[in-house]
Amino acid sequence: MFGAFRPTQPSMVGLLWKTPWKLSRTRKANVRSRLKQVDSVIEAVKESGVQCAALTKALELPKEHEMPPKDKYTVFSRHVRGYRKGIHKVPKWTRMTLRTNPKGF
Amino acid sequence: MLPLASLRSCASSSARAQLRAFASAAPPSSTSAAESEPLTHFRITLRRSAISLPKNIKGTLVALGLHRRLQTVYHRHTPDIAGKILTVKELVSVANVPASAVRNKLEQRLERKAPRGYVVTGSKLHAEP
Repeated sequence: MFGAFRPTQPSMVGLLWKTPWKLSRTRKANVRSRLKQVDSVIEAVKESGVQCAALTKALELPKEHEMPPKDKYTVFSRHVRGYRKGIHKVPKWTRMTLRTNPKGF
Repeated sequence: MLPLASLRSCASSSARAQLRAFASAAPPSSTSAAESEPLTHFRITLRRSAISLPKNIKGTLVALGLHRRLQTVYHRHTPDIAGKILTVKELVSVANVPASAVRNKLEQRLERKAPRGYVVTGSKLHAEP
């Protein structure tokens, strides 16, 4: 019943990792703080007065406070019913830019 | 002071204290010194590692001179540096600083270091009979 050899799903069937289908309140708070951190980087580069194509592209991204919750915590996926999946299903999602949706979604 | 201190021969204790003040309180001092000194440099600190990220992002960090987390480098305000920062914007934190706040690796280490030796503030031997 208990102990290291208890018959659980991961021990019985081999490779079985479960990912929660949605983010917890804490993980969502961490998402928001990361988004704000990136916003501050873009803001610092903007305040430096430098002009470059990368900056105009970065300024087109929505800021954290402009994004709807749907875009903060989910991403577009063409394979999922409803075309949205949790953003935490994307590999390396904490270090990628995933702010915008394809046109029409 | 010991002869080792001749490395920074001009660094008398007051100048050292000023340096420390710059290092510890750079954001407030940059706002107060903004009128006198123009902000000319980016201070870039690597916050997140680029492990298992694409080669172009890892290469960008190398180009910025960042090779370990929490390392800080200074670069002039130029479009190429701005583009590199924006390529790795999820991994770094950036501030604009004046030219006087720029520190190389050795200076950063000296600022981190505790001061050598000790100061005698008083003695109880001859305090009072």
